[in-house]
Amino acid sequence: MTLQKRLLGWLADAALILYFVFALFPIAWMVILSLKPTNQLFSTYFSFSPTFDGYRTVLGDSEGIPFVRFFVNSLVVSVGAVVLSLVVGLPAAYASARWRFKGSENLMFTLLSFRFAPELTVIIPLFVLYQKLGLFDTYVGMIWVLQLVTLPLIVWIMRSYFADLTPELEQAALLDGYSRKQAFFKVALPLVKPGVAAVSLLAFIFAWNNFVFPLILTSNEAQTVTVGALSFLGGDRPKYNLTAAAALVSVVPPLLLALTIQRYLVRGLSFGAVKS
Amino acid sequence: MIRLEGVHKTYGKTTALDGLDLEVQEGEFFCLLGPSGAGKTTTLKTVAGLEQPDSGTVELDGKDMAGVEPYDRGVAMCFESYALYPHRSAYDNLASPLRSPRHRLPAAEARERIGAIAELLGISGLLDRPVGQLSNGQRQRVALGRVLVRPARAFLLDEPLSHLDAKLRQQMRAELKAIGAVRRTTTLYVTHDSLEALALGDRIGVIRDGRIVQTGTREEIWHRPFDTEVARAFGRPRINLLPGVIASDGGFRSADGKVELPLGVPVRENTDVLVGVRPRDITINGPGHELTGTVYVTEVLGRSVEVTVRLGEQQVSLVAPRADTAGLRPDDPVRLTVRPENLLLFEADRPERPGRRIESTR
Amino acid sequence: MRLALRPYFLIIPALLLTCGILYPFGLGLYYTLFDFSASKPQPDMVRFENYETVFTQEAFWNSAWVTVLYAVGAAAVETVLGVAVALLLHRSSIVGRVLEKILILPLMIAPVIAAIMWKLMLQPSVGVINYLLKPFGLGGVQWTDTPTGALLSSIAVDVWVYTPFVAILALAGLRSLPTSPFEAAAVDGAGWWYTFRRLTLPMLWPYVLVAVIFRFMDSLKVFDIIYALTEGGPGDSTVVLQIRAYLEAIRFQRYSFGISYTIVLWAVVYLAAMVLVRHLGKIQRKAAEVSK
Repeated sequence: MTLQKRLLGWLADAALILYFVFALFPIAWMVILSLKPTNQLFSTYFSFSPTFDGYRTVLGDSEGIPFVRFFVNSLVVSVGAVVLSLVVGLPAAYASARWRFKGSENLMFTLLSFRFAPELTVIIPLFVLYQKLGLFDTYVGMIWVLQLVTLPLIVWIMRSYFADLTPELEQAALLDGYSRKQAFFKVALPLVKPGVAAVSLLAFIFAWNNFVFPLILTSNEAQTVTVGALSFLGGDRPKYNLTAAAALVSVVPPLLLALTIQRYLVRGLSFGAVKS
Repeated sequence: MIRLEGVHKTYGKTTALDGLDLEVQEGEFFCLLGPSGAGKTTTLKTVAGLEQPDSGTVELDGKDMAGVEPYDRGVAMCFESYALYPHRSAYDNLASPLRSPRHRLPAAEARERIGAIAELLGISGLLDRPVGQLSNGQRQRVALGRVLVRPARAFLLDEPLSHLDAKLRQQMRAELKAIGAVRRTTTLYVTHDSLEALALGDRIGVIRDGRIVQTGTREEIWHRPFDTEVARAFGRPRINLLPGVIASDGGFRSADGKVELPLGVPVRENTDVLVGVRPRDITINGPGHELTGTVYVTEVLGRSVEVTVRLGEQQVSLVAPRADTAGLRPDDPVRLTVRPENLLLFEADRPERPGRRIESTR
Repeated sequence: MRLALRPYFLIIPALLLTCGILYPFGLGLYYTLFDFSASKPQPDMVRFENYETVFTQEAFWNSAWVTVLYAVGAAAVETVLGVAVALLLHRSSIVGRVLEKILILPLMIAPVIAAIMWKLMLQPSVGVINYLLKPFGLGGVQWTDTPTGALLSSIAVDVWVYTPFVAILALAGLRSLPTSPFEAAAVDGAGWWYTFRRLTLPMLWPYVLVAVIFRFMDSLKVFDIIYALTEGGPGDSTVVLQIRAYLEAIRFQRYSFGISYTIVLWAVVYLAAMVLVRHLGKIQRKAAEVSK
C-alpha cells in the first residue's frame, strides 16, 4: 500500500516536471540562443562559446533598431496608462462599491465589455482619427488607447476590494469627525493599499505586453518593445541571437513584477470573478 | 434629545423601518430592545446620519437633521462590528476622534483623556497593541472607549457588551451607567438582551419589524406589557401563558377545563384569551387562589428552584425558594397559589399578530 | 439632493474616459455603413453592403472556421492540461511547491514575444525542436509551413502561454473547496476516482468554467500569436478573423470593410459570452448544492 502510494507520488511528480520542462524550456532556450556568437548561430546547438555581444548589439542600437528607446517608450506609456487609470478608476471603483446607483452598473458593464471587445474594432477608427488629430505615434495617443486594457482591470478589481471592506470603518471615521474625503484617504485607501499595488503592477504588465495598439498606432517615436522585438525577425538573414536577446530584455520587467505579486494574482486574472 | 417621527427606510424590497416614532429625553439612558432584524441598527444609523430615511424626520436637540452630514451631528456611535481601524494600534483608534478637525485636542490633553478612559475600561495595558491582536472582548472595549473619549450630543451604542464574556459583561453592565460621561449624555442603547435592557434603561423601547411596539419604564414594561410577545421577551424563565376562554362567571377557564382562575376584568363570555403569570408570582402553599397539579420536573438554580408543574394539559413553570420545594419529586401532587392581581390577560395570539393585553379595571 | 449626487461626481472622470473610448467604437460602427478607404477618403453611404459582402465572401467563412477551430482547440487543451496541473500541484509535494512559484512565468510573457520565441525554436532547418526530435526519427518537420502544422503550432503557443492561467484559477478553486464533504467521503471509504468524479469535479467546475470562458472568448479574438508566428499563412490557413480585419483595414487600407469584420467578430464574442455566462450561473448553483 505505502509502496504503491509512493510510486504514484513519484509518477505525479514526474508528470509535473514534464509539464514544467515544456513551460520553461523555451525561456531557457532563449537564454542559450541570446548568448551565441553570430558565427556559431547555425552550426551548433548546445556547445558554443557564450558571449554578451548579442545584448551589446541590441542595447547599442547598432542594427538600426533603437531598442533602448523602445524600452523607455514601453516604460513611459505603461506607467502613464496605469497612473491615469488609477486616478480615474479608483474613485469610480469606490463609488460603485459603496452606492448602488443607476449609472454605475452601466459603466461597470461597459468597462467589462471592453475586456472582451476585439481590439481592432476600436483601433482602426482610432488609426484614422489619430492621423487627423496628430496623436499617431505619440505617448498621449498610446496612453489613451491603453485605457482599454488598464481601466477595466483596475476598476473591476478595486471595486471588489472596496466591496470586501465594511463601510462601517468609514462611517466610524465620519462620526469621529472626519470628512468623507478624509475617510476615504485615511481609512479606506490604506486598507486596500496591497490591492492597489497588486492591480497596478498587473495592469502595468498587461499594458507592457500589449502588441496590437503600438503595432498600428505607432511607427517609430512611440513604438514599444513588443513591436520592436519583432522587427529583429525581419530582413533576409534574421539574427536569431539578437532576436532572442531582444525578446529576453523585453520580458524581464513583467517577469520580475509577476513574481512579486503572485499572491494577489488570482483576483486580478479573473477580474474578481473568483475570489481568492 | 433625540426624536424620530414616522421614519421609513427600505433596502430594495425589505423594509427596515416602518414608520418608527421614538423620543429620547435629554440625559436619558434609553434602551432599544428587539430581536435581530427588527431595525435596531438602522435606527442608530439613521440618527447618526449614516443612513438617509426615505421619509420621516430625525431631530437632535430640537433641530431637524435632514441634509446634515454625520460629522456635523455631534453624535458618537459604538458599532456592533467595532469598526476599529485594523491597521492602527488601540491607542490610535481611541485618539482618532481627538485628532479629527472637529474634536481636536492638544496631544498632551488627548493622552491624558485616553489614559483615563482606558483605565476606566480596563484596557490600559493594551494601548500599544495593534487592534488585530486583541480579543473580541478587548476590541469591544476599545470601540466603547472611542465613543466615551470625547464629548457628544448623544451616544449611540449598538450592542456594546455583546462580545464580552459573561462575568465581564455583568461587571461592565453595572459600571457603564456610573461612568460620568454616560450619566450626563443622552444615550440610545441597542440590545437584544432583555436583562441588559432592564438593568440599564431609564426607559425601554421594544422594537419589532421596524416599529416601536411599546415604550416605558422597566416597571411599566414588566407589569403592563403591550402584548404576549413583549411579555415573553422579559423574564427568565419565560412568563406562563395559558390558553382558554372566559367562563360565564367572568373568570378564566383553560381549554381543557382543568384550570379555573378568577379575573378582575370584565370581558365578554367565550372570548379566546391567554392568561399570563410570571414564574416568580406562583408560590407553593402561599396565599391566593389555589391550583392543584403534579410535578413534571425540577431544576435547581442556585438558591431557588425552577419547578415545572402539569396542570391538566398545560405546563407552568415557577421559581420558588429551595426550602419550599424540598422533597418534591416528579409526579408528586403539588398545590400552587396565585394572587389574582398578578394575573395578566391577553387576547389569544393570532397568525397576523401576537395577542394584545386586555386592560384591567384595577 | 447633495447626498444623492455625490457618487456621480466620483464616476464622472471614468465616465468621460469611457466615452472617449466608446467614441471611436461608435465611429467605427458608423464607418461600416460607408465605403471608406484610403483610396476613397470622401466615402459614400452604402448601408449594409459591407456586411453583405462579408457574409458572402468565402474568405470570411474560411476565417470564421479557422477562428473557431483555434478557439475550441486552444480552450480545450488548456482546460484539460490546466486542471491536470492544478490537481498535481494541489498534492503539494516538495517538487510541486517549488514549481508552483514559477507556474506564472509563461503567462506574464507578452504573447507576441512567446510567438517569436517559438518561431525561433520551430524553424524547420535550424530550429531546436527538430534537432531534439531527430533521435526519434522525426527531424525536418515543416512546423509552420503546412496548413495543419501552422494551426497546430499556433494553438501550441497559445497553450504554452495560457495553460498557467487555467491552472492558477483551478488551483485557487481547489484550495477554497470546503473540506467537510471530503472528510465525510473519506470516512465512508470512498475511492479516489469516486471522490474526484462526485465531489472535486462538480465543486471545482465553476472555477474552471470562469477560466474556460475567459480563454474561449480571448482566443476568438486572437491576433498577436498568429501575427508573429505565421502572419496568417501558409496561404489563408491561419487567417483568423482579427488577422483578416487587420489585412483588410491596414494592409489594403479598406477601413470600412475591415471594421465590418471586427463588428461581426464582436457580435460572435458577445453571443458566446451570453451563452457561457448563463451556463456558468446554472453550474454555480449546482455546485453550491453539492457542497452542502
